[in-house]
Amino acid sequence: MESLKYTLLKIIHVSGLTFLEPVVRLCYGEEPQLQLKKIGRFIVIPSLTFLAFLVAWALIAPVYKTKSGEVPTPAVVWDAAQGVKRFHERESDKQVAYGLSGDERESSLAAVSEQRAILNSLKADADEQVAEASEERTALVAEEMEPLATAYETKKAEFKQAEKRREAALIVKASQIDQRDIDAKNELLAYIRGHEFQTEQERELLKQLKAEQDDVRNLTYAPLQNAMRLQTEIAEKEQYLAKKEEILSKANRSLKLEEEAARLKELKLQYAATTGPDLMPIAQQMLQIEGRMQKIVDSEYAKPWTLPMQIMRSLACVFAGFFLATAIAIPIGVLCGVSPTFMAAVTPFIALFKPVSPIVWLPISLIIVGGVITDPETHWLMVGMSNLPLIGWLQINPAFIASAITVALCSLWPTLVNTALGVASIDKDHLNVARVLRLNFFQRLTKIVIPSALPLIFAGLRISLGVGWMVLIAAELLSSSEGIGKFVWDMFNNGSSETFAQMFVVVFVVGVIGLLLDRIMIIFQRLVSFDGAPAAI
Amino acid sequence: MSNPAEERYVEMSNLIKAYPNPYGDDIKVIDGFNLKIRKGEVVGVIGHSGCGKSTVLTMLAGLNPITSGGIIVDGREISGPGPDRAVVFQSPCLLPWMTAYGNVKLGVDRVYPHATPQMRHDLIAYYLGIVGLSDAMHRYPRELSGGMQQRVGIARAIALQPKVLLLDEPFGRLDSLTRMELQDVILEILDREKLTTVLITHDVDEAIYMCDRVCMMTNGPGAKVGNLMTIPFERPRHRAEILEHPDYYNYRGELICFLEEQEELKGDRPAKPEPKDGVGEDTHTDLVAQEDTSTEIPVLNDELESHVTDTEMVKVN
Repeated sequence: MESLKYTLLKIIHVSGLTFLEPVVRLCYGEEPQLQLKKIGRFIVIPSLTFLAFLVAWALIAPVYKTKSGEVPTPAVVWDAAQGVKRFHERESDKQVAYGLSGDERESSLAAVSEQRAILNSLKADADEQVAEASEERTALVAEEMEPLATAYETKKAEFKQAEKRREAALIVKASQIDQRDIDAKNELLAYIRGHEFQTEQERELLKQLKAEQDDVRNLTYAPLQNAMRLQTEIAEKEQYLAKKEEILSKANRSLKLEEEAARLKELKLQYAATTGPDLMPIAQQMLQIEGRMQKIVDSEYAKPWTLPMQIMRSLACVFAGFFLATAIAIPIGVLCGVSPTFMAAVTPFIALFKPVSPIVWLPISLIIVGGVITDPETHWLMVGMSNLPLIGWLQINPAFIASAITVALCSLWPTLVNTALGVASIDKDHLNVARVLRLNFFQRLTKIVIPSALPLIFAGLRISLGVGWMVLIAAELLSSSEGIGKFVWDMFNNGSSETFAQMFVVVFVVGVIGLLLDRIMIIFQRLVSFDGAPAAI
Repeated sequence: MSNPAEERYVEMSNLIKAYPNPYGDDIKVIDGFNLKIRKGEVVGVIGHSGCGKSTVLTMLAGLNPITSGGIIVDGREISGPGPDRAVVFQSPCLLPWMTAYGNVKLGVDRVYPHATPQMRHDLIAYYLGIVGLSDAMHRYPRELSGGMQQRVGIARAIALQPKVLLLDEPFGRLDSLTRMELQDVILEILDREKLTTVLITHDVDEAIYMCDRVCMMTNGPGAKVGNLMTIPFERPRHRAEILEHPDYYNYRGELICFLEEQEELKGDRPAKPEPKDGVGEDTHTDLVAQEDTSTEIPVLNDELESHVTDTEMVKVN
């Protein structure tokens, strides 16, 4: 039991999840009061502030209205996240369905038909509910409209009469004025102005009444909205099931193959039975079918990019850039640390290029990559990578490479500077050990210099990865390289309230992934820090 | 030992070390240092702190360039550092990313490049064993106490099988009990391996207990060998026997006299306040104080008191 406790504490220490420490200690009954106090500080307080943040968000968001609808509340964002997840699951499901064959296909098809039947009854219910709610709403609106409408009509008639009365009175007054009586004329003008003002005010009032009526007419009726949401959901599911059914039946790979195989067999029989020049077209036809069959075997369901896939591609891209940066930064950093002359030679470049924004690097690298890989469809590198087993589906293209290069260019600086610092600040005593042992340059590097600089190198790598992740989203957004950035861009261009909410989902996805990457780097940093000192959080 | 080559196994002749001062003149810290060391001899170098003891040692180690003069070890003039002259510094300076085993292995791999892995392992285990670290072999320096770290440093130095072992105040940072333990560990190793050794120290008792000859250095700048004293106690030595030996206080008195003379030559510098704990501190004021009380020391010299260091003796008095 005790050893388990120490293992747990060690894991917590290495992973930097120190807020869990009081929980473990409390479970073992160690100073409960102190642990509770710590739990209060490191778990309860942060949870409460997060909760307060959610509440404030939920209250403030609906106030602000945009052309993409209201700013989404936490609940709407959660729904959007579910929607993103559902989309991914359904697409994956269709992909599987395309590859099914034999009994599996048939049982799956039966299941889908069953589901569709159930859905149809649900759909009827939903339609009914919508109709009902709609009726209820109409009734409600009518009920609320009636007094408003009457009030409006009465007021309108009243105002019309009043206006007519005033006009008649003014005409009478005008007819009584003498031609030279300027004062009376001025007085009349004042009366007419008063009349116009009155009329204008009455018109405003009527407009206001009309607006009230419009509000009632546009009333949002919660039951109707819920019913309609359910209806849409069912419709979407219906669409998905219909598509899946199609994929399982006539668009299925195995079925298409069977069909072709049957035709081929027929042709073969024909070929065996025929002699003379007729053989030629039959043989050609057979070869054609064989070619088509090969294509079908290789074919895959044309799955659209879903957010989880885009996340994977973004991760692949950030690591590609990060490893490229590491491969450049560490050797140069070591050289800088070892040789002050080299450091002096490199310093202007570091100073000059470090502050350059990713937004500048991206177009440059896009053009350069585009110049090297002029035809991505046939370039050996692109073709080779699309045939690789694990990363083939990522569809690595020039935009991906340009994004990775941008990430590398922006994220190599912290590693470079830290490596140089780590190597330059190596303990003189440790170098004396190397001198006494007469280690050669390579041995000195591997046995003394690099191990001694590792903690600082990893501190730099950690910053680099964080920078890279931030840069990547922007790079993808601009380069239209499939990934999280592209997802955001697509959602922005879509401009509906649903996609607006999905952009908020991305905020959290990016944040959580960035956090995880940082955590992983902290663990590495801890593992290489020989002095046992905890890395900064 | 009559072989002339063995008589002059290490020879430092007319050694000069000069550093430029801010006005561009050269200050000769060491000026005309001459010393011959026999093979297998343990020579102590004693002097006030700042007199240039460590400078001589680092020059012998090759870590510090020589301004003028020459050092010959085993018939060859040295140039730069090398594994034939292993150093144990005041701070252990182990590589913190390697275990005790790894630290010793680094040297062993270098000195025995053609040995089989098994032989190397045996060597490493042997040397860690003789400094008493068989159980702590795979621990990292941060997990070891100061004394244990210094033991690793000693094992690392001896494992190189050097021609000369250079000890630069190796016990300076240790507490008095650990210091005595380590003195015994080193003496035992020196008796067994018969290594030619130079021991830098400012502890008079340590010098008498461990060395065959003590080289007393004059104060810098321009430090040189002021006096040489042979300590003919039989080896292996035992602390209690040495302390009770009738000649012990004669040697001690001579050393302290020399050091006090040096202090007086410097002019009437105000005596420094007594350090709170003697560990790793400059102890020359203690030595002066000790001389006054040296007649009373035999009274304290029983089983327990023999383990008390200089400083603590002063405090008792």
